[in-house]
Amino acid sequence: MLAMVNKVLDWIRSLFWKEEMELTLVGLQNSGKTTFVNVIASGQFTEDMIPTVGFNMRKITKGNVTIKLWDIGGQPRFRSMWERYCRGVNAIVFMVDSADEEKLEGSRNELMQLLDKPQLESIPVLVLGNKKDLEGALDERQLIERMNLSAIQNREICCYSISCKEKENIDITLQWLIDHSKAQR
Amino acid sequence: MSGKPKAQSRMKRDKKDEESSGNLYAHLDKTSVLQEARAFNETPINARKCSLILTKLLYIIQQGESIGRTEATEAFFAVTKLWQSKDANLRRLVYLVVKELSNISDDVIIVTSSLTKDMTGREDVYRPASIRALCRITDTGMLQTIERYMKQAIVDRNGSVSSAAIVSSTHLMKKSSEVVRRWANEVQEAVSSDNHMVQYHALGLLYHIRCNDRLAVNKLVQKFSKNSLRSPYAVCYLIRIAARCLVEDDQPDSSMFTFIESSLRHKSEMVVYEAASAIVSLPHTTSAELQPAIAVLQLFCSSPKAALRFAAVRTLNKVAMAHPTAVMSCNVDLEKLITDSNRSIATLAITTLLKTGAESSVERLMQQISGFVNEISDEFKIVVVDAIRSLCSRYPRKHAVMMPFLAKMLRNDGSFEYKKAIVETIIAIIEENPDAKTAGLAHLCEFIEDCEHDNLSTRVLHLLGREAPKTPNPSSYIRFIYNRVILESTKVRAAAVTALAKFGAQCVDLRKSIQVLLRRCLLDSDDEVRDRATFYLKMLTEAGESVIHNFILDGLQISPSGLERAVLDYLKSGNYSAPFDLRIVPVSTQALSQPEKLEPYAAQLAAIPEIAKLGPVFKSGTRIALTESIAEYTVHLIKHTFANAIVLQFECKNTMNDQLLLDVSVELEDPESEWQPSGSIEIPKLPYGEAQSAYTILEFPESGAISGSLGAILKFKVMDVDPTSGEPDSEDTYDQTYVLEEVEIAVSDSIQAVSKSSFASAWEALGEDSAREETFQLSTVDTIPEAVKKIAEILGLSPCERSDRVGEGKTQHTVLLSGIFRGGYDVLSKATVAIDPSDNSINMNIIIRSTEPLVSDLVISAVV
Repeated sequence: MLAMVNKVLDWIRSLFWKEEMELTLVGLQNSGKTTFVNVIASGQFTEDMIPTVGFNMRKITKGNVTIKLWDIGGQPRFRSMWERYCRGVNAIVFMVDSADEEKLEGSRNELMQLLDKPQLESIPVLVLGNKKDLEGALDERQLIERMNLSAIQNREICCYSISCKEKENIDITLQWLIDHSKAQR
Repeated sequence: MSGKPKAQSRMKRDKKDEESSGNLYAHLDKTSVLQEARAFNETPINARKCSLILTKLLYIIQQGESIGRTEATEAFFAVTKLWQSKDANLRRLVYLVVKELSNISDDVIIVTSSLTKDMTGREDVYRPASIRALCRITDTGMLQTIERYMKQAIVDRNGSVSSAAIVSSTHLMKKSSEVVRRWANEVQEAVSSDNHMVQYHALGLLYHIRCNDRLAVNKLVQKFSKNSLRSPYAVCYLIRIAARCLVEDDQPDSSMFTFIESSLRHKSEMVVYEAASAIVSLPHTTSAELQPAIAVLQLFCSSPKAALRFAAVRTLNKVAMAHPTAVMSCNVDLEKLITDSNRSIATLAITTLLKTGAESSVERLMQQISGFVNEISDEFKIVVVDAIRSLCSRYPRKHAVMMPFLAKMLRNDGSFEYKKAIVETIIAIIEENPDAKTAGLAHLCEFIEDCEHDNLSTRVLHLLGREAPKTPNPSSYIRFIYNRVILESTKVRAAAVTALAKFGAQCVDLRKSIQVLLRRCLLDSDDEVRDRATFYLKMLTEAGESVIHNFILDGLQISPSGLERAVLDYLKSGNYSAPFDLRIVPVSTQALSQPEKLEPYAAQLAAIPEIAKLGPVFKSGTRIALTESIAEYTVHLIKHTFANAIVLQFECKNTMNDQLLLDVSVELEDPESEWQPSGSIEIPKLPYGEAQSAYTILEFPESGAISGSLGAILKFKVMDVDPTSGEPDSEDTYDQTYVLEEVEIAVSDSIQAVSKSSFASAWEALGEDSAREETFQLSTVDTIPEAVKKIAEILGLSPCERSDRVGEGKTQHTVLLSGIFRGGYDVLSKATVAIDPSDNSINMNIIIRSTEPLVSDLVISAVV
């Protein structure tokens, strides 16, 4: 009975208040973080981007969910600052260039290092393998294996293979994110 | 209607705030403010609350609170979270805080991207402020990534954006001038902007970009003085640049002056004033050149605008000493300003009149000024004091009027700067005018009885120790000094003990009583005071006259680092049969309290074994050029004197970009065969653009000669190299020589100038035995001051007791000189210079005394 009332209340609330969620987007340089933000915000894909020096702050509204997105630069000198922007967010999105074999190991190490931080415990992580349109790009399964994601047990973790250029799998990514705005509450 | 009660309630609240705490920020605690800054991490952002916290943060930083790096970084990253808020006021506060934290926090470049977005965005209120913040957080490496945006911003249509970019670039010039120089085209474009501020700022930056290139600056002035600048600010700036060119250039362009003069007829008063002020401040102006500028200032003196009157009278005041006659022509107008309701203008008018006025008007003006001296600020009181100081040196007889006036000012309340100015003035009067000594010392004694500034007390005590023992009644001062020992802080007590000891040293009849007083000081609570008392007491009871003089009156005149080195060498030598000899320590005239000047050559020399074994350096001379400054190879000579040898350091520079020099050395030739090099160190390899040193060691000849002039030839092998890569073209070399100016070795190289504070007693202590006397005519000089300067220069001795200052119109003068001969022998000299009235020739009688008769012989032989 009580659950029933709560459900109704939730529904009424969602009519008046918008859901808000906070995300942090990290990953090595040139993996497509800022491009991803542009794609989900305005649907526009730009080929030549300049590296993000520092961070970009974007607010995106999808349905009744407002997503606050911290897009942090991926160059080595910014990596030590990732953690500061990951504290207390609803989810961490980790971007990987799935077509760049050489950087894969570095990417894995950075992710593991980040998730080792005690302050970020139990925050859900979404690993996105970008650039699936390119030749030789890894698919989800290969990515999970190479990134050693199965070793991560203490939190929710998910992996999608996407393409910002072809706008592939962007919809399921968004859905995952929106689902997690409630999950946290 | 509805607004009214709201306004009322706000008024009420304001009133309540005022009553309760006054300043809302008065009692902020750093830790709690930083704690509050955590609110920035909350969602959603409460813009009002965060604005208040940011203001608090800014306030504590402005108050000089120091924030540690970790704390600052933590706060900084919290502040970056505020970028999510769209509140305009909050964002602008964020920019301010980012600027303040930019130096004390780590990783500030994290906001680069956000700031670049704001500076190129649509929101005009964000753009200038974000540019300023961005330029503060960037380092040279990062600058290249934002270069494109900066160039765009400089030529932006919005004036405040453009100004912000230009001013920030001017700041960036300090750390990354190379990058900013690349923006010259954009800056040039901004100079032609319609916006007054932009034009002014752009001109400023353009000058900074070019200021190292004299020709370019000249061109800049010429160009902009013709096609007239629209902005009066820019014209003012151009006048300043032109004035600087006129001062700094040896042969300034006459068009510069024409430009400044033509600006006197500009329609903006600001420009007219700037031009007038520039002209009167120029050195070497003729009265015809000055006249129009003075006329403008005179006109301003009767302007209804107080700012103009102030500017004019202040400028006249500043140049009153340089151009007395010109300023005097404004006297009528200045007299009118004496009664100006603005006290600052009145003060400046009176002090200007004091500087230029006749002796007879001094009393009247002083009367006038004492009427309102209490109403003006300390800053202007200092102006008055300075005027009195210059007046006293011009009319020494007026000290009777001035001294009581100064004493009265000294008694009133005032800041440290103000008191310092008065004390310095009184000290200056005492030193220049023996008649004023007793009165001046009495006023100073009264002053230290109730002085809250330790620095001034110690200064006065030092002066008393030096001057009071020479007065007719020295014992009268002792009470004042001893009171300090009882009443004051540690610093002053220590100074008082030293002053007492100086009385004991100079007044033999007071010595017994001084000893009693010093004995009481032995029980002082402070180490330093007790140490000083113990030392002086021991000296005064047991030591002989000459030792007392050397150690109480003159103190140790040696370089501390030299002493350290010498003692270290002594300890290392392991040979303690002979006591440590203080005479081998290099002397230094600098007071021990001052930070030691770095001896630039000591380390260099000590690194060369041949030179290191000569012992410590006695004296290093100045750098003398042996070639023209534009020669193919430039050589500078620095002479280093040791106890028994002299080392000639030849600093050679190769300015030929297609040559590599090998085996560079300097060959010396003495026509009288007195000086023989006992060793030399050559430069193995001297590439283009580098400066290295070759050394030649000369031992002092056995004949006893201490001067000579030697021919010098630079010898080296040349290898041709490619100018761009520096790689040798071939392995072939050829010999080459290059004739240098002669190397002069003079008696002054063997003497270090060290002045004695009490010449007479030191003179007596040396006795008659070593005295050598000589009289001769000087043919190269025409006046007494020149002769005095010359003799001190030739001997390398230092004038004592300000005896190098020659009274005006005197026909005879005695200068007292002292110094130390290498090896640690005192050398004193009394030189009397007189003009022969019959033929205006100058004669000199010189007596040399020294601790070693042989030294007297050597020195006297150098003069003849």
